[in-house]
Amino acid sequence: MSKVESKVYGDRKVFAVSAFNRGIASWLAKLPEVWVEGEVTELRRNDAWATCFLTLKDPETGATLAVTMSRRRFDALELDLTDGERVHINGRPELYEAKGSLTFRAATIERFGLGDHLAALERLKRTLAAEGLFAAERKRSLPRFPRAVGLLTGVDAAARGDIVAAISARFPPAWIVVAETRVQGDAAATAIVKSLTALAAHPAVDAVIVSRGGGSFEDLLPFSDERVVRAVAACPVPVVSAVGHEQDTPLCDLAADVRASTPTAAARLVVPDLDELVAGLARSRERLGTGVRRLVARDRERLERTAGQLRAAPRLLLERRRAVLVASGGRLRVLSPQATLERGYAIARNATGVLRSVDDVEVGERIDVQLAAGSLGARVEKVQP
Amino acid sequence: MIDEKPTFEKAQQELDEIVGRLERGDVPVDDAIALWRRGEELYRSCVALLDAAEGRIEELSRDSS
Repeated sequence: MSKVESKVYGDRKVFAVSAFNRGIASWLAKLPEVWVEGEVTELRRNDAWATCFLTLKDPETGATLAVTMSRRRFDALELDLTDGERVHINGRPELYEAKGSLTFRAATIERFGLGDHLAALERLKRTLAAEGLFAAERKRSLPRFPRAVGLLTGVDAAARGDIVAAISARFPPAWIVVAETRVQGDAAATAIVKSLTALAAHPAVDAVIVSRGGGSFEDLLPFSDERVVRAVAACPVPVVSAVGHEQDTPLCDLAADVRASTPTAAARLVVPDLDELVAGLARSRERLGTGVRRLVARDRERLERTAGQLRAAPRLLLERRRAVLVASGGRLRVLSPQATLERGYAIARNATGVLRSVDDVEVGERIDVQLAAGSLGARVEKVQP
Repeated sequence: MIDEKPTFEKAQQELDEIVGRLERGDVPVDDAIALWRRGEELYRSCVALLDAAEGRIEELSRDSS
């Protein structure tokens, strides 16, 4: 580096402005690269410019630092930075020699603590999961007819209107208790816990929707705050988490009883569809009528069957008796002597009875001979042993 | 929305149970008629509860402090 030129007036050594600036600049250039942390403000980037500019602000004191970066480098990072974001910038101080102003020349920019936040979240998630806070068996089912629905929402948030509209469309008589709450910034977690507790303590609230529209990862951080997650898990009434968009998974989603990715989904979870409800009631009533008519009809049928049986009973009895009688008659006929007489045998009797031997009669005695048809009066003329 | 007792939900649940019992048919006819009367009563009270309910939005104070 060349020596900075100066003039000498008597005992005074004097630098020209540009020489001074160049001197400082070359001295600054000897400083090593450093990391500086701050909040992005006044980000200016233009396709026509070779450099983009931003002001880095100390969020504690408000002190600022002008930062420049090659536009090509900035674009290559694809950070999609917006004002207010916290970043770490690696670079070195530089003097803009024409103006003598100090800028910080950035070599690279990183979103502050994204990695740290993620790691901390992951740790918290594991701890809470190990405690069983996210366990499936802890999930409660939502009441089908909450007397009132609690809605925790951001202040003047679009999400509020969307959810209220979705609930009212599905179930016009819905009673909604709204707690507008700071959902962003340092005080958000405490505010959310407070609102959630107040909603759950409301005497009619049977379910709570915790809502927040979409936002950056950092915007949704309060909904992953340990205090909020624990409050959601401990909430005495079931909680629907409607935080962020589909792809976001704040930890309160895991602690809530159910997650809804859209206002309509949230409404579907907390209130019944009025039209369906009325139709269902009408159906129930119809089935009630059909059921009781069928039972009465079945009873009548059974009664008629019994009555029929009763009427048929005497006739049946008679027929059974007759059949028994006929059978007895048959047996009787087989046993009677008539059948034997038919075959040509005869029965001889005297006054004492049936004759089985010649010893039973005397010669000259009158006997009676029974044939199959009719009988003879006869006299014994002779006996032969 | 609905804060009377018995709640709508209880009433509708009972109605559904009664419908279920009548449809299963394992009830004597006297009970069936009593159940049907009860069911009709529940149906009417459900409809009355719905008719009586009016949508409303209530604000809790900011941050509930």
